[in-house]
Amino acid sequence: MQASVLPFALAEVPADPSVDPPASRLAVFDDPEEWAIFSQSCDKPAVAATGLWESQVMVQGMHCAACSLTLEQALLGIRGVVAAQVSAASKRASVVWSAALTRPSQWMAVPQALGYRLLPASDAFAPDHGRKEARLALWRWLVAGFCMMQVMMYAVPAYVAGPGEITPDIEKLLRWASWVLTLPVVLFSCGPFFGHALRDLKQRSISMDLPVALGIAMTFAVSTAATFGAQGWWGHEVYFDSLTMFVFFLLTGRWLEQRLRDRTAGSLDRLMQRLPDSVQRQQASGRFERVAARRLKPGDLIRVLPGEAFPADGTIVAGDTFADEALLTGESRPVARLAGASVLAGSYNLSAPVQVRIDQTGQATRYAQIVALMERASVDKPRLALLADRVAKPFLWFVLLASAMAAAYWWRTDPARAVMAAVAVLIVTCPCALSLATPSAMLTSAGLLARQGVLVRRLQALESLATIDTVVFDKTGTLTEARMGLRSVETREGVTSAQALHLASALAQHSLHPLSCALVAAAAGVPLPLVPGTDTLNMIDVREFPGLGLEGRLTASSVPGALGQVRLGSARFCNLENPLHDVLQVCLADESGWLARFEFDEAIRPDAAEAIAALQQAGVEVQMLSGDRAAAVRRVANALEIRKVQGDCTPKTKLEHMQALQRQGRKVLMVGDGLNDGPVLASAHVSVAVGTAVPLAQAQSDFVLPGGQLLMLPKMRAHARRTMRIVRQNLWWAATYNAVCVPWALTGSLSAWLAGLGMALSSLLVIANAARLAHMKEGG
Amino acid sequence: MDVLFLLVPLSVLLGLAVLAVLAWAVWSGQFEDVESEGLRIFHEAPARPLQKSPDFCKLKSD
Repeated sequence: MQASVLPFALAEVPADPSVDPPASRLAVFDDPEEWAIFSQSCDKPAVAATGLWESQVMVQGMHCAACSLTLEQALLGIRGVVAAQVSAASKRASVVWSAALTRPSQWMAVPQALGYRLLPASDAFAPDHGRKEARLALWRWLVAGFCMMQVMMYAVPAYVAGPGEITPDIEKLLRWASWVLTLPVVLFSCGPFFGHALRDLKQRSISMDLPVALGIAMTFAVSTAATFGAQGWWGHEVYFDSLTMFVFFLLTGRWLEQRLRDRTAGSLDRLMQRLPDSVQRQQASGRFERVAARRLKPGDLIRVLPGEAFPADGTIVAGDTFADEALLTGESRPVARLAGASVLAGSYNLSAPVQVRIDQTGQATRYAQIVALMERASVDKPRLALLADRVAKPFLWFVLLASAMAAAYWWRTDPARAVMAAVAVLIVTCPCALSLATPSAMLTSAGLLARQGVLVRRLQALESLATIDTVVFDKTGTLTEARMGLRSVETREGVTSAQALHLASALAQHSLHPLSCALVAAAAGVPLPLVPGTDTLNMIDVREFPGLGLEGRLTASSVPGALGQVRLGSARFCNLENPLHDVLQVCLADESGWLARFEFDEAIRPDAAEAIAALQQAGVEVQMLSGDRAAAVRRVANALEIRKVQGDCTPKTKLEHMQALQRQGRKVLMVGDGLNDGPVLASAHVSVAVGTAVPLAQAQSDFVLPGGQLLMLPKMRAHARRTMRIVRQNLWWAATYNAVCVPWALTGSLSAWLAGLGMALSSLLVIANAARLAHMKEGG
Repeated sequence: MDVLFLLVPLSVLLGLAVLAVLAWAVWSGQFEDVESEGLRIFHEAPARPLQKSPDFCKLKSD
């Protein structure tokens, strides 16, 4: 496919991304050469052009499981579609269609009428490792669980029968049956324990799996010897029931833990598996050929088709499209990417094929940096967990030593008892409970918060959040709406408001500040009056002064060199005296002085007052710091009943104020938009960024509220307090349990099955206690 | 009580058979999408009998 025969013109790309593009957009997928990207042929290559194809598509617009059925029905109603399967969980569909009867554009267009949007999933045929692992874990767990139930059945007679009630041959038969069903548990379900223990031994380190594996092996050896009638020091008891139950509970604990982790880290996985394996690169001959994505170098020209992910950071050189950057920037709507715009690796190209010149690859991309950042956050260990880990290692050595000593002690009087005492010590001690205590609660908490729209960037921050007593708010974009309307424009004589607006917009588009965004949005609605000689306005050498404004030099494409310096920002920044009104305003000035003043309407977020009242009711002091003019700040403060306010702050005075508060011994939560107040956010004990003014990964905060729901703040605090209460309970429980059970096991009077039960229960109790967080009532 | 010598081994075999069924269930993905199936009953039009196996292609070409 040559660039000249691209099936749609740039003008066809809709200006409003919420409107579905015309069906002709889909025509590009009718080229049989494109099919192989998201489909595989069901027939032999000779008849592929008219045979059956199976295509993988991503579905946008699905809200619930019922949507998948509606969509399935719709797809099946199309002539030529043989089978369709839609998965609500993965938001993917697999469609089998006949090339003789239909074309992708036809069956992809039908769901659009229902409000769904289908996009080819180019990565659909990549190997799916995660699913195989999940199935294996589930299978191990099921084997252990089912065999445990069955072995219990065989064990019951031995517990309930009096001496001599079971004949020796029946007893032997039951033991033999237990042994057969324990075999898969030990050989298959316990695989990970033995594997990890062996790996740790090879690396000369020690982990929780070592005592567990030792305990399993010893119990199984002793019971097997007793089953097959070998006489010796090991006695004649079997412990298959304890063994299988112990393994089952342990696997249950791990499986639950894994699921908790998946629920919170699931989006991370999806993000990390985003880069395509191969991409079309322009060869020396000028033709595009598919090469492995990792062979790309900066400077290469590639073609990215709709539905594919961009493999590297780059600049679009031909074509206009929409990109889905939701996971990278938090912006959930498609964003327009016109020729000359830069695109991010890992974002999806949605609407048109584009040619991209590669700027950065591999680890240098924004994508790689974001993934690294998120990975760090998800493995971030809270201080209490670190403590537990530090304790765990010496504790494990203590366990091994203690069990050896118990064995040595009992060896002289009763060798059979010696083995079981050692096993009991190995099994009953539960560093798992100790190690799980903190992360299980924190991860449950993070998952719950994520479901309510709060992103946790640093798990450890939950710990600090529980103790805060002061909340400091930024004003603009935090307590007030991020989107502001331009109310009026005042200009110097000889300058029209449209000219002023476009000049300001040229500068403002270099900034993410809410006022800049408002200016750019306002300018887009006003046609640019063409002044001879200045056909397009451009700014070079743009610098942003946080809290003050922007500065840049104006150029026009038809005039060489810069036309002059322009400043946009606060009145002070533009060197203007005596601003007139107590309103939200931005000034524009050039070298000869004042050019224009823009006034904005500022709306207080609807839930701000309620959130602040709730915080004050909970005994938290609320303050407000703002870089805005003192009068405007006071107006907002009065409306929200905030008593301590300070206006006219620079980032530096904000920081000083924050440090002063901390010197008074206060625990401070800073709430800002994460843009101008980066240093302040970083210096607070806990920080929350509100809204989507800043790309997610750049926000310097512990929590992000992308939806800007301020009411979550008091809830988050209450939630953090509950979490810490649970963590403390867990730690106490784990410590008490070990303090009681280890001496008990050392005496040799604790039987293995009881030890197994205790071990499993102690871990499960910790996890169940943590899971309580997910079900607690909101306000409680 | 001699019948136990038949019944206990039989129960072991039955247990292994159940494990085999569970294995099939796990590896054919029966536990992977447990939510949407339950909602099928709310759908008005009776679902057209359809081949839903993801291995449809393979079946077809064999």
